[in-house]
Amino acid sequence: MVVRRKSILKSTGFALLVLLIVFFAVFPFVEMLSISLKHPFDWGNPSLIPRLLNLEAYKELLAIGQTEREVPESIKNLLDNPDLTSQQRKAILKKFQDTGDVFPFLRYFGNSFLLSFSAALLSLILATLGAYSFSRVRYRGRSAIQRGVLFVYMFGGILIVIPLYQMAVKSGLAATALGAFLSILIIYMVLTLPVSMYMLGNYFRTIPFSIEEAAMIDGCGRFATILRIIVPLSLPALITVFIYAFMIAWNEYLFASVFLKAFKNLYTLPLGLKELFGSKHLIWDRIMAGSMLTAVPVVIMFMLVQKNLTGGLTAGGVKE
Amino acid sequence: MVAARGHTLAAEEARFGWKLILPAVSIIGLLILYPIFYNIALSFFDVKLVGANTFIGLNNYREIIRDSTFWRAVLTTFIYVLATTVGTTLVGLGVALLMNQKFPLRGLVRGLILLPYVAPVIAVVFSWQFIFDPVNGPFMHLTHEVLHIFKQRFNLIGSPQNAVYVAITFNIWKNFPFTYLMILSKLQAINASYYEAADIDGATAWQKFHYITLPEIYFIMGAIVILRFIWNFNKFEEVYLLTENVKVLSVYTYFKAFTGAIEQGQGAAIALVQFVILIGFILYYVKRVLKW
Repeated sequence: MVVRRKSILKSTGFALLVLLIVFFAVFPFVEMLSISLKHPFDWGNPSLIPRLLNLEAYKELLAIGQTEREVPESIKNLLDNPDLTSQQRKAILKKFQDTGDVFPFLRYFGNSFLLSFSAALLSLILATLGAYSFSRVRYRGRSAIQRGVLFVYMFGGILIVIPLYQMAVKSGLAATALGAFLSILIIYMVLTLPVSMYMLGNYFRTIPFSIEEAAMIDGCGRFATILRIIVPLSLPALITVFIYAFMIAWNEYLFASVFLKAFKNLYTLPLGLKELFGSKHLIWDRIMAGSMLTAVPVVIMFMLVQKNLTGGLTAGGVKE
Repeated sequence: MVAARGHTLAAEEARFGWKLILPAVSIIGLLILYPIFYNIALSFFDVKLVGANTFIGLNNYREIIRDSTFWRAVLTTFIYVLATTVGTTLVGLGVALLMNQKFPLRGLVRGLILLPYVAPVIAVVFSWQFIFDPVNGPFMHLTHEVLHIFKQRFNLIGSPQNAVYVAITFNIWKNFPFTYLMILSKLQAINASYYEAADIDGATAWQKFHYITLPEIYFIMGAIVILRFIWNFNKFEEVYLLTENVKVLSVYTYFKAFTGAIEQGQGAAIALVQFVILIGFILYYVKRVLKW
């Protein structure tokens, strides 16, 4: 009897602890979702369920149904002025109805996507070649390179951001939009390259060399072997590494804020959201909707490769 | 003849290997290794955004040593790094021990608690700012209206003295999934017969933890502590995006180098000092704790 009461107490305590951990981990996300759906009068209400559903924030950020936006009364009076040409009238209307300039969320989203996708793809190509080289080809110095690659773990971005910026300034790249974009693209690629190579190298070693030998005997060159044998066989690892590189670029703020500062059209999501919302606190619903829309793609991607990625995390530790 | 051919084959193999790795190595050399040395050079110059830099010897270092903000940043960094490293490791250990037990919905729970680590920093900082918001935030509602711990609502995240606690909690929240995963994978590798033997000998839960679990996870814990120390020491975004009021060294460097009266020479000097402190700590730690 005593034993049973003790075990009930124990399992209740256990369940409470698990609930506490889940609450700790998830609460900020629940709060985010809740506020993004609440009207301003509801923000101070600690309940997480909105009294009245507010989808305006999402509509505004995603530019859905924004054409019939209300034009302020004073502007309407201005528009009634018969001296205006129809062109001027259109220009004024456009200025007030085009929310793209107020919340260029979709543009930031597009910039981030383009940048992260290209950087991850380039990183993946170079990492595949590099990882194949030090995991499969025999030559002096390959283990030194392999260990040297991990040495990069110790450097934070802050140590190299000033010299990299100086290099871009002195070479003239930082002055033009195209130059800044290319600089940031290459930087994102190189940031993910060492860990990508390490992860891929570990994977390539698990592929039996005899498969490659068979291909070579059949007349495949070494390079063709990589393309026809290694790449198809490592597809899950390649996808995992691509997503890892994509996430790093998608989340990056420091380098973007330094290199892209002067080019508003090139702002990535982290930079854009910080600029848009950093100083304003009266638009919590938009802020939270923006946060949700930034987090969702990454979380979905992670779910897709969770098994591989957490395996990789624990095997080597993924650099942050 | 055979030896000679073997030699050329080996040479060809080596050439092929170098050809494959050259793009990756050269770009890492150009954009990571070279900048580190360039950073050392820059720290001795008065760096200008337009025109040539002038050599000023140790002046940048003299400037930052005289600056009391620098010393405060060093102190803040140590508090931040110490608290976050210990916090993340302990929370991760606790969670790993819990998740190692069998219970219903374990798969779902394991997935949910990875969310903080996966979500982009920029996407979660605003939610944390809202939670600690003095007007609408649920934290002030809980501590002031419900529990009466504080006499009035105040801006916890907006004041330099208190914001560091929020930043520490945020870092622990964001990174405990990493330590938890590392420890859990080690826990699952421990031979179950050790525990069975201990049960037969009538060991208590604490004894089992102390004499079986702890020695088994000692090295993974050691590795976690050093990794977390390095990463937390270099943290920029998780501090700066949450609140600009917590001036750890990287945030201080950023402010020096890219805002206001831009002083990139001094920024380079601070970054270098930070790096030297880090290397010093790593060498000490590897010798004393990991006993290599």
